[in-house]
Formats: sequence, structure tokens, C-alpha cells
Amino acid sequence: MAINPIMMTNTDLVNSKIDLDTIDVSNLNRQFLFRKEHVGKSKALVAKESAQAFNPDANIIAHHGNIMVPEYGVDFFKKFNVVMNALDNRAARNHVNRMCLAADVPLIESGTAGYLGQVDVIKKGKTECYECQPKAAQKTFPGCTIRNTPSEPIHCIVWAKHLFNQLFGEDDPDQEVSPDTEDPEAAGDAGQSALSAEAEKDVAGGIKRKSTRVWSQEIGYDPAKLFNKFFRDDVKYLLSMENLWKKRRPPVAQDWNEVCQHSTETSLESESGLQDQRIWSMSECALMFGKSISQLKADLAARGDGGMLVWDKDDEAAMNFVTATANIRAHIYGIVTKSRFEIKSMAGNIIPAIATTNAIIAALIVMEGLKILSGNFEKCRNVFLTRQPNFRKRLLVPCTLNPPNPKCYVCCEKPEVVVKLNPKHVTVKILEDKILKGGLNMVAPDVEVDDGKGTILISSEEGETDDNHDKPLATFNIGDGTRLKCDDFLQAYEVVITIKEVEKLENEAEFEIVGDLESLLDQVAEKTDEQKKAESKNGVVAMEDEDVVMETTPTAGTKRKASQEIVSTPKKPRHDDDVIVL
Amino acid sequence: MLEKITDKITEDEAALYDRQIRLWGLDAQRRLRAARVLLIGVGGLGAEVAKNIVLSGIKSLTLLDHQVVTKEAFTSQFLIPRSELGKNRAESSLGRVQLLNPMVEISADPTDVADKEDAFFTDFDVVCATCCEKQQLQRLNEICHKSDILFFAGDVFGFYGAMFSDLNTHEYAVEVKQNSAEKAIDATSAASTAPPAAKKQKTEPAEMKTVKKTTKFTRFSSALNINWREEAYVKRLKRMPKTFFIYRVLLEFRSVHRRDPSVEHVQTDKEELKQISSRLLPQIGVEPTIIQEDFYDYCFAELCCVCAVVGGVLAQEIIKAVSQKDAPHRNFFFYDGVSGDGMVDCLA
Ligand SMILES: [Zn+2]
Repeated sequence: MAINPIMMTNTDLVNSKIDLDTIDVSNLNRQFLFRKEHVGKSKALVAKESAQAFNPDANIIAHHGNIMVPEYGVDFFKKFNVVMNALDNRAARNHVNRMCLAADVPLIESGTAGYLGQVDVIKKGKTECYECQPKAAQKTFPGCTIRNTPSEPIHCIVWAKHLFNQLFGEDDPDQEVSPDTEDPEAAGDAGQSALSAEAEKDVAGGIKRKSTRVWSQEIGYDPAKLFNKFFRDDVKYLLSMENLWKKRRPPVAQDWNEVCQHSTETSLESESGLQDQRIWSMSECALMFGKSISQLKADLAARGDGGMLVWDKDDEAAMNFVTATANIRAHIYGIVTKSRFEIKSMAGNIIPAIATTNAIIAALIVMEGLKILSGNFEKCRNVFLTRQPNFRKRLLVPCTLNPPNPKCYVCCEKPEVVVKLNPKHVTVKILEDKILKGGLNMVAPDVEVDDGKGTILISSEEGETDDNHDKPLATFNIGDGTRLKCDDFLQAYEVVITIKEVEKLENEAEFEIVGDLESLLDQVAEKTDEQKKAESKNGVVAMEDEDVVMETTPTAGTKRKASQEIVSTPKKPRHDDDVIVL
Repeated sequence: MLEKITDKITEDEAALYDRQIRLWGLDAQRRLRAARVLLIGVGGLGAEVAKNIVLSGIKSLTLLDHQVVTKEAFTSQFLIPRSELGKNRAESSLGRVQLLNPMVEISADPTDVADKEDAFFTDFDVVCATCCEKQQLQRLNEICHKSDILFFAGDVFGFYGAMFSDLNTHEYAVEVKQNSAEKAIDATSAASTAPPAAKKQKTEPAEMKTVKKTTKFTRFSSALNINWREEAYVKRLKRMPKTFFIYRVLLEFRSVHRRDPSVEHVQTDKEELKQISSRLLPQIGVEPTIIQEDFYDYCFAELCCVCAVVGGVLAQEIIKAVSQKDAPHRNFFFYDGVSGDGMVDCLA
């Protein structure tokens, strides 16, 4: 969002903007179309009103809505001469990229991260598309690190967010918070099997309970019981997995009553005196743990039966819960505790946005847009805003547009990818949610097995293939070399998946998308060079999404051709929300 | 210079400035909230600078401009409502600037900067001059230099923009990676040995530490007085931003005509620009061919996108200088909207 106000004052062209977001106080420092009285209102609508006041001649149509719905289909995109993106998440960017390819409308993609920014021009068949180069993968931590052996604050924060979802949010088996008995490091632990057998019997609060949610509801979200379960009993259980602690500092179990008894102990005041900058004491954490739980319990109840909460860094109780929980867990493991301010950055994956960078990038978007609209596409450049001038004295670095990657699984003529997985374990549901939607960014996929019979595996029509959901792919004779024809009608996007059957993947991964078979072979050869490659990519910035913990270490830095030189520029820093279509 | 500022950030400010505090820190924000800024010239570029620094949370901003609102303003000066045609530019901009951030004290002054006594400027921590003639810029720079006031200048002519800064002797804090030498050794061993080393390096977070640095700046006049025939400068010509010479020609035009090239006299002004470039450039020691032949086709009016780019860089430099955080761009930034290059160079 932050980017488009400038575009609106910059242009007298007919334009239309789409935004689902509403305005938060922390937006006001950089978005000059918004004022304090606008907090909580629709960004798209307020921006339109304010921009109209700045320029009464502009024809602005505001849409408050999610871009990834059928209402904004290929025909909608075809109405525009150019689309300008100022989105804050990769899923929406991927989607708009495909819509623009399908509608054959030029797209100007942009992003900022702090002082850095970037503008990319995308045109079907002429340039790289947004998905031509693989992006930095989402950072994930091994389940056993999160559940058994955290060693850094971020591990505790991820665990705290998982606990939030277990208690109040969507049930996700990947976000388990109990001790992981299958930790390979704990293998051979004598006491372990006995304990876990015993635990299975202990339904209320045991290791294999029915579900954390059901149990918590049964105990009425009693903070003392929750605390003792997660911070005392589970920790004691972990201590029994002795192999884990041979080379590590063992965790120290905490008891609700004991922690609360120290309630007079004061927390560490920050030098600034600001509430958010303080580091809470253990007893304060326990107090906040209880307080936030009772608030969240009320919020959840207000949603009615089957309702759930979605963790939001800007929700006071949700943020307090994660701060308290992460710090208690950190304390247990002897990990440094953090202020709410710091935890918010990490848990919300905040990439700071500032007015100056936004203004510069917005202007550069318009500069490229004007070239397109005036029929000078060949003059378009991708432009990077750097923090310090490069060795050619450039702070703004224009680079010639790269041609499309002929192997891109999105914009090439016949997109194909190879997916490594074990068809006995991967279900149709996992294929749909994690591989097609999560991995390949499809919105409403249809999948047909290329078996000569036209077996329909997944249908985008609601309910048609629900029976298949829990069946492993092997049920449908899907194995090594099977081809799946996947089609997303909304995105006008088709891709053929070839299955590469494997028994197991690294880090307990369920699948791996590897592009085409050739690159799979390349990958094996290059694996040992990975470290060297990482070294050559300094100055590279990973693009990230708010609310998703993602990796900050870069991958796949491609060198860009500059007008006169080869430069090493920040790769894909992207942030900020919403789309403008001109 | 880097003394502690004791004034504390309030909870309201912390909420409003949350994102930028995450970027430049509380100490920088504290310094910003103490800064009194004078902005001379509230045209398209001035409006961008005003917007950016008011949003950043300075203490006060004084808008100084004696010019009146013309129709041209409505294409790039978004702070002036359309009803203000013919009124004073500073006063007409005041309302919208104030709306941007109620926590900043904003005032407007319709006086001509040339009529201001030297003492007037010493009430400010920062002076940023736009739309000024060359002689005025030199005068302001001297006053600021004597009183240790941070001095900035900027202008936009069509597709071209320039900014200059003189921070005198400037101390600043910068974060650097610690033990980079150690890291390099790690990296080479990781490449040659087994995977465990690589794994270890991956999880190692980059240790940052803050160090203090000092930079010395020169006056605006020393850049103007360069003799480009001197050997040291001849060598630099090839790699320097040629926009500097376009900027020189335009400043000269402004001095001679007491106005900028105008769409109202396109043909005569283009001719005059050609004349000035063929007269002035040899005088300072370069061939007129050093700049693109048709530059005069691209230097009319303040293009709004160019204002946003130069205003963004200029405002960030003011923020950097005031907060004494990070290395400033010394001492010119040039933007060429035709080629898309934005270059920093030290001309003295
Ligand atoms: Zn592509």
C-alpha cells in the first residue's frame, strides 16, 4: 500500500486499485494518504478519497478485496494497459504474475525492504517473469529443534506461535508443540519408550492426547494447568530423553506456583522507558501468559462453535501471548529473553518500511510505466535502489531486462516440474494444499492423472473429489515417472508434474519441487558447491512476507546485466502491500 | 557530537514511528525529534522533502517561499489545493503538511530568502534550499558552515535532478560486521572440508557492532570552481555523473533569467540553454559535447517522478545527517531520469 499513494499523485491516468488491507497506526509514518482518523478503515477506499482530493481530475476506482478471487480474472486484467504491483506477499505476487502473463499485460513488480528497493518490468515472452528465478526458500526449522532442543530465541518464538495455533487457531499437524519422541538424536534412549507408552494412556495433557485444543477447552483454559503442562510436565518428559542432554544444557522445568510466588520481583526497565522495550521477568511472563490466555479465550468464544483465531502481530493479546510464552520457554532452556518489541519483529517478520524508500520506488514504477504507455518498452529497465553507491558510483542502478528463462515452470510454453515424494505417504490433500497451492502457488487446481484413463484426482468444483483427500497417491497407481496434468482455470495456468519417487527426504520434508529433470541432475552435481555459491551472493537481500517466518539467507542470486556493466545488486527485496492497475 | 540526547520518546511516538525505529533505532529517532528544519522553496521537490521529513518525526519545519502558486504547481506540488492559485506557496502548503503529522510544528514564512538576515538561519539545525540561485546557495552554505548548521541543496529540472550536502565535519555511527576476517577464513575451510563445517557456518548469526566515524565536507563553491582541465579532474571526467554539467547550465540559466526554463517560452529557452552550455562549459574546462546533445528537450518543469526520487534521496540524507546514523552520501547525488541512473560523487 505504502507505494501507491505516490503513484496516484504522480499520474493522471485512469487507474484502479485493489487492496484488502485496513489501516494501522504504524502505517501513518510513511503513507501520506492516511491520517489518524483513518485507522481501521479500508486502505483502498481511503487512498482513493485522499488521492482524489490531491488530484480532482484523476479517475480512480478503488476495490477493497482479495486479488486472488475469480472476480479479478483474466478478463479483468485485460482491461488495463499496465499493472503495477505493490504487494507484500509472494503468493499474491505469483498470482498477479500469472494473471498478467495470461492476459498478456505488462506488469511492473516492485518491492522495498528498509533502505533498499527494486522495480522489475515483466512482459510475456520478452522478459523474465516474476517466477523465472527461484526465490529464497521459506525458512523452516527441523521439528525436533522446535519441539525438543531450541537454542535460539527464534526457535522459542516459532514454538510460541505454534502453541497459539494449537490452543486457539487452525489445527496443523506440522505445528506440534509436544516433545518429539522420534527425534533421531534421542534414539536408543532406554527410558523413552516406557515413558511414551505411559504417556499415551494419560489423555489429559499427555503426549498423545486427543488434541491440545479439546483438552484446553475441557480445563477451561486454566492458565495454571496449561503452564504446568507445557513448561513443567513436558519439560520433565524431555529430560527423560537423556541422549538429548549429553552435550547440551538440559532445560529446567518451571512450576506455575513457584514462578508466581516471585511476583514482587521487578522486570528490567529499558533505558528508553518504553513499555515495549522492557524485558519481562519470569513472574511477569507468567502473569501475562495467564492474562493473554483469558483474553484470547474470550475472543475465541466470541467466534462461536468451530471458530478459530488467526495469529496477528497487531493484536495485543496474541502478541502478549507469544512474548510471554517465547520468553518462558527461552528461560527454561537458558536462551536469552527478548523485549516485546524485538519479538514482534521476529514473530511478525517485519520488514521495516519507510516513507523515503517508498516514494523513490513508487516514482521509479511510474517512470517505467510511462515508458510502457508511451510505446517505448525497449527503454524499460529493472532498477535497484541500493544503500550505498556501487563501485560505478550508482545509488540507483538501471539494468537491462533479462530474457525469459526457457525452463521457467510458469512462463515457458509447456511448463513442467519434477516433484520428489513418497507416493505411499503423500496424500491427495497434501498434493493439493502443500504442493500445488503452497509450492506452485495455484489457487484452485484441477488435477488429472496422465494414465490414459483420465483419472480425476482433484477437482476445483467443491466436493467432487473430497473422497480422495486422505488417500495416498499410491492408491491411484501414482509412482516413479507418473505425470499429473494440473490446471488452474482462474490463472489460465497449466503445469505437468512428473513424480520422482523417493523413500525419504532430508529434514523430514514431505516433498521437494525440483524444476525439470535436467536441473535435478545439475543439483546433485552442484550440491558440494553450495557453500561457495552462497559466498558469492553477498549483498543479496531475501524478500520476505510479513507474518510468515522466512529465511533471511539468500539463494539463487543471478547476476543482472546492467546497461554498461555487470553489477552485484540486492536481489529481490520486496515488501509492501497492494496492487495498482492502470 | 554524538552526545546522549536525554529527551525521551513517548508511547504514542513509539507506535507511530514503529517501523522506522525498527530500521534506524531509538537513538536516531530521538535525534530526529529534536531537529528544527528550514525548507527554502516549496515547489515539487520541496513538497516531497517536506512530506518525507515531516512523516519521519522531526521537531519543527519552517517553509520559506516568496513565490506564488502557478498552474504548473498542480502537476507536481501535491501539497497545494487547487483553490490556492495565485497565493503564496509556503502558506498554501501549510495545511496539508500539518495533516501529515500533527506531532510536528509547522510554520510558513512568505519572505524572500534574499531578504533574510544571516542571523535568521542560526535558529535551525538543518537548512535545505531548493529553487535558489547559485549566489544564494553559496551565501547560505557559508552561513551554515560558520554556525555548524547542516546544509542541503536540491533542484529538479525536468528529467534531471541534483542534490548537494555540506555537513561540515560530520560524526556518525555505523554498524559493521564483526570478525569479518575470521569469517573469511571459515569460508575457505568450509569449501575445502567436510559438510559439518558448512552447517556450522549457516547457523552462525552475523555479529554487528557500532563504530563511530568522521567525514569532512567541502563548500558548494568548491565544486563550482573546479577547473576540469586540471589533470586530476580530467582523469575523473569519464566516470563522473554528467548530470553535474547539465545542472551547472541550468543554474546559470536561473542566474541570468531569474527564473527556470518555462514551457511558456519553450523555443527561446531551448535556444538559450544551448547558448549557455556552449559558453559556460568551455569556461569551466569541458567540451559542450560532454552532455547529451538534446538535454534541453528534457529539462522543462519539475517532473513529479523526478521530484519523488530526488526528494526521497535528499530527505533520507537529512534524516541520516540529523540522526548521525550511517555514512552520508558525499557530497552530490544526481538523477538522470532519461537513463535511469542515480549517481553519487564527491566533487570538490
Ligand atoms: Zn518465468
